[in-house]
Amino acid sequence: MQRNGAVPAPFEDAEEECPICHSKRYLRKDMKFMINPECYHKMCESCVDRIFSHGPAACPVAGCNKTLRRARFRKPTFRDLQMEREVDIRRRVAEVFNREEVDFDTLKDYNDYLNDVEDVTFNLIQNIDVEEAEAKLDAYAAANKQLIQSNMKRAKEGVDTFRARQEAAKESAQQRRKAALQEEEETRREEEEERRNLLKALDAGGDAEVLTRQSQEAMRYRAQIRKEALANEISANENANGSAQFTIRGLKKHVEKEEEEEEKPYDPFDGLSDKREYFVLQEDYGWENYDRLNKPEYSAGGYNIHEYYNRALCEAFSGLGVFIGDSSDEAPPAVASAGAALAAASPMSDDVF
Amino acid sequence: MAKLQEKTLTLLSNNKSTISTANSPFSDTSNDYAPPADLAAALNEQEKHKYIRLKQIGSGTYANVYKGHLRADPSSLVAIKKMKVQTDYKEGLSMDSIREIKFLQELSHPNIIALHSVFSSKDQNINLVIEFMPHGDLEMVIKDHDHVAYGLADVKAWMGMLGRATWFCHENFVLHRDIKPSNVLIAADGQLKLSDFGLARSFADPYQPMTHLVITNWYRPPELFYKAKYYSGVVDVWSCGCVLAQLVLRSAYIHGETDMQVLDAIVQALGQPTEENWPGVSKLENYVMMKPPTRPLTSKAEMMNLFGTLGPVGVDLLMAMLALDPRKRLTSKQVLEHEFFKIAPRPTKAADLPKKGGGEKQAAEDLKRKATLLGEGRGGKVAKKLDFGAARR
Ligand SMILES: [Zn+2]
Ligand SMILES: [Zn+2]
Repeated sequence: MQRNGAVPAPFEDAEEECPICHSKRYLRKDMKFMINPECYHKMCESCVDRIFSHGPAACPVAGCNKTLRRARFRKPTFRDLQMEREVDIRRRVAEVFNREEVDFDTLKDYNDYLNDVEDVTFNLIQNIDVEEAEAKLDAYAAANKQLIQSNMKRAKEGVDTFRARQEAAKESAQQRRKAALQEEEETRREEEEERRNLLKALDAGGDAEVLTRQSQEAMRYRAQIRKEALANEISANENANGSAQFTIRGLKKHVEKEEEEEEKPYDPFDGLSDKREYFVLQEDYGWENYDRLNKPEYSAGGYNIHEYYNRALCEAFSGLGVFIGDSSDEAPPAVASAGAALAAASPMSDDVF
Repeated sequence: MAKLQEKTLTLLSNNKSTISTANSPFSDTSNDYAPPADLAAALNEQEKHKYIRLKQIGSGTYANVYKGHLRADPSSLVAIKKMKVQTDYKEGLSMDSIREIKFLQELSHPNIIALHSVFSSKDQNINLVIEFMPHGDLEMVIKDHDHVAYGLADVKAWMGMLGRATWFCHENFVLHRDIKPSNVLIAADGQLKLSDFGLARSFADPYQPMTHLVITNWYRPPELFYKAKYYSGVVDVWSCGCVLAQLVLRSAYIHGETDMQVLDAIVQALGQPTEENWPGVSKLENYVMMKPPTRPLTSKAEMMNLFGTLGPVGVDLLMAMLALDPRKRLTSKQVLEHEFFKIAPRPTKAADLPKKGGGEKQAAEDLKRKATLLGEGRGGKVAKKLDFGAARR
């Protein structure tokens, strides 16, 4: 079984998110998911733009590493990507094995033919002997080039009526979009008029400050109305989809908070530092005793004398910040001490890191 | 941090109050003070009384694991790991248990599993009270192809957290010596927690030999296969490098059934260690040239073929973590300083990371597994001796 052959299982409806950038659908209404038939890993449109706009690149989903091209990305037709892949395979097979019942003398011959086709299809879908199945498909395609072409033409004629109906649907969608654009244009015109009115009033010698404020308020009021209308429309849509879990207000807050956090650069050390307060580690202390450590028997395993210098100094200085009166009469522990101190890494420590 | 180190003495007394020393496993060490027996018993009772033990959620060779919570706050869940008395140890407690308690008690970091308390129960068993980790471990996430998809930003976030945990251990002179995905637990808030300190030890003094029989072999660096006795923190960096590779591939990068096969897998994956690329390597006790012709060091282009998801900078980091010669390998600090963590994409926030809801059962699995099947002085369970006879021929 091929590692990359596995296709992600159907994703859950709620909280659908991009596995690459973790944008969530409920936070970004306009978010679209794309897949590439090379591996069927879904990711959001902006990830596709970001990663593949400069040419082919490795699929960003860990464990895949297939090289993908921008041009082959498309919106999946099905929510179940397993299904998406199966449909693609079936379409591909059907384009090659495109004989129809009328081409056969008997029904049995036709059924045998369908059986063979299904075997190839099944193997491709289930990733069983894929190479063999692909070879069969190629061989048939090469051997029946002419026939396939003419069958394709025949099938197309049957499809034409269907296509005409689709065109009509497309048209009505275009009309709806046009209406939306008109509406937008109207609000723009409204604003323009407001501005003109303001200028006129100013020309007529009105108090600039008052007039400007009035005009701004009017505009703000109208914007507010439009915003609310939009919000209502969106939430109505959400209700229609049965997934209205978040109000527009909550959404905005969340987004703003995220942006705020995003501003701090990532700190791989998460605020901790290895600065020692009482000493600076030297490159070499000239302790002849340790010269032998340069011999390969000792050094080739990676033993690092600097780690020892660091520890020895740390232990030597540990306790410098402690007054005798504070400590109990216990003897300071030797090795275990290093860590005991670490308990102070808890937030209550007054250390500034 | 330095300041922390130097605060040792003041903190020592604080420590005593949070972690009861009654029936302490340290009573045989010179630096421990011994409270009067009745006081010890009282302290122990007090500690024990703080927790309520609920149902058992797992059992293993070394420990049984129970779910529990603070008596004062039923919503604060803990896992109580009750170590079984080992009859083959005179003290009744294995070296691993002692190590684990010692290091967990010492190391407090957001990416290292927290030991809340230690107490003994009536039957003289040691109980460790640990953070409850309901989301399983990193290995489960890597393996769950069907339900978990993740990308570079997630890998980067996980490596940052694992890197911090490793660096923090080293900064405090502790070698973990068993880093692998199943020892990296996932907290409810998405943070990774390095766990299982059963094979950990403090950095060795000069000339003080250490055992090479540590680290589960798929994550073990070549110097340990060559029986190096004097090694450093970068053994853990190698393990982290293997984890990084595995996160990308979603399957183990270097693997094999026997130690011999694993070493061979290292050579096939990264190249044959020679005197040229690793001066002095031939002086290591178990060094062996694998089959000629010598496989050259793996090029960056070859690594890009396999790890393209990481991008060129990520592949640089991976290669530097998996340098054969430990002296050329990055230290855990250098790992965190690497360009990889500075460039886009920014690491995913912990809360947004994908995780698998492993539930109680997995939490118990993780804890009871107890260290690994290898280690010093553990009789039959010690890692098999390397057999290089066949390779030398
Ligand atoms: Zn993919
Ligand atoms: Zn995305």
